[in-house]
Amino acid sequence: MAKPAVILVGADKGGVGKTTIARTLLDYFGAHQTPTRAFDTESPRGTLKRFHPDTTEVVDVTSVPDQMKIFDTLGSAEARVTVIDVRAGLLSPTLRALNDIGFIESAKKGQITFAVFHILGPSIASLDEIAETSQFVGDASYYLVKNHINETSFFEWDPATYNSYFKKIKGAEEITVPKLNEMACEQVELASVPFVTFVANKGPKDEAANYSFVLRGYVRHWLGNVWSEFDRVKLIDLISPKAESNVRQVAG
Amino acid sequence: MSFRNSVTIVASPRPRVGKTMLARLLVDFHLQEGRSVAGFDLNTEEGKLAEFLPEHVIPSAVGEIKGQMALFDRLIAGDDTTKIVDLGHESFESFFSVAERIDFAGEASKRSIAPAILFVLTPDRASSESYRSLRKRFPQATLAPVHNELLGSAQHRDKYDLIGSGATVVHLPMLAPAFRRYVDKPPFSFADSRLAATFDVPIDVNIELQRWLRKVYLEFRELDLRVLLADLKSSIGPI
Repeated sequence: MAKPAVILVGADKGGVGKTTIARTLLDYFGAHQTPTRAFDTESPRGTLKRFHPDTTEVVDVTSVPDQMKIFDTLGSAEARVTVIDVRAGLLSPTLRALNDIGFIESAKKGQITFAVFHILGPSIASLDEIAETSQFVGDASYYLVKNHINETSFFEWDPATYNSYFKKIKGAEEITVPKLNEMACEQVELASVPFVTFVANKGPKDEAANYSFVLRGYVRHWLGNVWSEFDRVKLIDLISPKAESNVRQVAG
Repeated sequence: MSFRNSVTIVASPRPRVGKTMLARLLVDFHLQEGRSVAGFDLNTEEGKLAEFLPEHVIPSAVGEIKGQMALFDRLIAGDDTTKIVDLGHESFESFFSVAERIDFAGEASKRSIAPAILFVLTPDRASSESYRSLRKRFPQATLAPVHNELLGSAQHRDKYDLIGSGATVVHLPMLAPAFRRYVDKPPFSFADSRLAATFDVPIDVNIELQRWLRKVYLEFRELDLRVLLADLKSSIGPI
């Protein structure tokens, strides 16, 4: 039985496209035939659930029953990967809770693969939160995602400050997510389907749809870029350590 | 494929090389053949395709996403219409970069549309480089070089590697300059069955015009066959 993997997708503030990244992850694992389930912490009404209703469950990550629902099922669930879309501002409380239940400890022991996607917006709201986060992440694979949510906003924070904080997180890797055209983004929102379904011109029930070819082209191009970033950081190898060890054997 | 859903793009990165004339002739040729035709005009300067054939041509733009949707979504629609795009030199790069990004050629082949690019040859380096780059970027499209005889009888073979489907040059024969004034006043359709009466063309001019049109249309028929053949070959696979 393969090691279960947990991916936390979080941000220190809202509106930085956290759910968008979670959606690209679900699509990515779907494309790699990796069974995946997702938890949406935007309780009671989750955005992620709207796009991936079959795999997503809405939970309150701070409540004990819901924590049980997520973490006690890690070993037994059919899904190999668990993606948790953490609501804005809940990243460090969630990590703290994970620490308390001994989850971080099992990740350290290598029983669970643990990754954190920290989504950065055009500005960093709370640098303190990053400092706080760093003490909990332990051996997690930490990804800093620069999400260019629109053309007008730019990364206004100072690289020196940014480095001084993120250097605290050992081995953090950067992922750059390019901007998706606003109209394309809106149309996918309206369609309420995963990105790959939109590209394939299908509706929520897999029926033929009639989306604009231009917009589908934009989404396909953009999603390809995002996935190539995931490929670059070898996300699949992290999730399927078996493949990785094979590679090592060949290399060694 | 069938011609009922073909897309022909008339292109050159240079202004004033006869693109709009070529596009007008293409629209009129297909109308004459009894097909349903839609032209797309991407020129911003005067002497535009849409002015000559207002009933059949839609003024278009690729700068904004709305314009891109209006243009490309229509180009790949299976509406049994032959489509002609008159690509103004200002839109050359933006059109092809959008087409590449959204994988226009891939979607077209999925829908059995064989796109053809008619590229007007000029001796400048920028054009020959654009030609080469188009062949690399759109290997599925038939890239057909066009020699406009009005631009002189230059030999371009040393500047362009005319190979594959591009080995045959489409010749746009020269229309005597004295006759240009009759046909260069918009609106004007070569396909009008009563050309002389509608556009006030003298009978002797009309005879010469018809002779010229026959030559032009012969080139277009040969081009159609080549596009068809290229499409057939690609559906069979490499031989």
